Amino acid sequence: MSATLTAGEVVELEKRTAREDTQNRASRKGFFTDTTLCIGCKACEVACKQWNQLPDDGLLFSGLSYDNTLELGASTWRHVAFIERPVALSTQDAGAFSWLFNSDVCKHCARAGCLESCPTGAIIRTEFDSVFVQPDICNGCGYCVMSCPFGVIDRREDDGRAWKCTLCYDRLKADMQPACAKACPTDSIKFGDLEELRETARTRVEQLHEKGMQEAYLYGDDPNRQPGTEGLNAFFLLVEKPEAYNLPPDPIAPAKHAGESWKSLAFGAAGLIALAIGSAFASTRR
Amino acid sequence: MSEPPNDLTYYNRPLLKESVWSIDIPLYYFLGGSAGAAMTLAAALQLASEKGQSDLRRVSAVCHWTGIVGSTLGAVFLVHDLGRPERFLYMMRVFRPTSPMNMGVWILSGAAPASIAAGLLANRRGILGAVGEACGYVAGVFGAALAGYTGVLVSTTAIPVWQAARRWMPVLFLASSASSAAGLIETFAESEAARKVTRVFGTAGRVAELAAAHQVERAASAVPRVGQPLREGATSILWRGATLLTAASLAASLLPGKSRTRRVAAGVLAMAGSLCLRLAVHYVGDASARDARASFQQQRAGEA
Repeated sequence: MSATLTAGEVVELEKRTAREDTQNRASRKGFFTDTTLCIGCKACEVACKQWNQLPDDGLLFSGLSYDNTLELGASTWRHVAFIERPVALSTQDAGAFSWLFNSDVCKHCARAGCLESCPTGAIIRTEFDSVFVQPDICNGCGYCVMSCPFGVIDRREDDGRAWKCTLCYDRLKADMQPACAKACPTDSIKFGDLEELRETARTRVEQLHEKGMQEAYLYGDDPNRQPGTEGLNAFFLLVEKPEAYNLPPDPIAPAKHAGESWKSLAFGAAGLIALAIGSAFASTRR
Repeated sequence: MSEPPNDLTYYNRPLLKESVWSIDIPLYYFLGGSAGAAMTLAAALQLASEKGQSDLRRVSAVCHWTGIVGSTLGAVFLVHDLGRPERFLYMMRVFRPTSPMNMGVWILSGAAPASIAAGLLANRRGILGAVGEACGYVAGVFGAALAGYTGVLVSTTAIPVWQAARRWMPVLFLASSASSAAGLIETFAESEAARKVTRVFGTAGRVAELAAAHQVERAASAVPRVGQPLREGATSILWRGATLLTAASLAASLLPGKSRTRRVAAGVLAMAGSLCLRLAVHYVGDASARDARASFQQQRAGEA
């Protein structure tokens, strides 16, 4: 250490660095996916695969509408759901049938089940408030896979580690938007500052209601209405119950009620110790 | 929620991911659990035998070595199941109370070395003996946690059936561990002291296991769809089988007489029951993960 700095100068330096850190600190980023604008083109899926160089999931035809992707997984970080339903949208003039599309993605939960369950600390909260799996730390224990209430994260067979959407962490660091949002031709996928996105989304719902689409609502925008995850940093505009899109109606980060299990363990373990001592002393009697 | 009943799913596709865990993990539940309960019993015997009863000391040593072998073998299964086994120690770069798996690694890494020290040193003279004695008590406490934390591990997931049973799953794992630890000693230790100890410990463990299994099924079935894998299909055969085996073991351990055959039968049945229970819990969880309706109905009922 060079001794040329006085104590006062060190304090000054620290203050300046702290100020710069605050200025540079990224704001909370997220996705607003407006499903009423989605046309099911899968450009987001392809852009994600290509940017992140993700392998295929088996080239299978499902027979389920136009959906051969079927679910999010270790190598699929956007998934377009195709819902064909025998119900008309309220704005429809004729027919008793409607298409719904939804480009599903990791929700980057404000309280994330995967992150809380990770025993190595591989899963972290980034400066953009997104949830990121550090590939150099993950040891493939698989616990996060069962801890995600949305069934998003999975372990890749070939390399043994858990993977999911990174919110294009590498692109964000370079001041670019995520590949899926960039590729979306209809602006169904909007990327930006979370607060601004929420404003946009609420305005959009009002507009749709004015146009007569009363069924439009936001899923995951409000921490108070989704207390189990304390809100989602990637939220959605839907026009049917969440179940239709394979979204849970009231998801919860599992650790939220782990206290009940730990309490059960504490009482049970005390019981086991008492039983062991009782059995041992009982056996000393003639 | 006062929503009208709806049965929407996305083409009956699962909502959640099934576990990526192989059979290694239920085997670890069984081995680690039995080892943990044996460590606790070993420590209790140390405590009860301080007046120098060598017969109890010998049973204590058997329990310590059961703990050592079980926890070491269990750890091997645990590491083998990792996607990146060479990174096992990364679990110890953090202390993270929100992750039962992380807590479990700390519990295991407290219990196993302590039991090894106790097994090697407890009957020595002097300082070494005192260290071994102390380690025996440490292993006893960590062992009790080791015997049941896996119940917390499964309950703290998004899997509906495990989540619904979260208040009873740790008790079930503890009781089952006590039953199988007693079973091991019944099978392999012949002394009068061993007989007396396992009579109380094993019987109580088996009664508790049956009661806790009943409670788990009741809690899981609060929303009928959630408890379905416990009641129907192939997974229910494992679940019912575990109950049957444990009940048979209980009957055998309650029969009068000092017959060696009866003791071995009780011990083997208890171990089979406990192993079957761990397998049942594992596969019931997979079935539950495949059933989106279980999650949806649980959440709509406000039970999540």
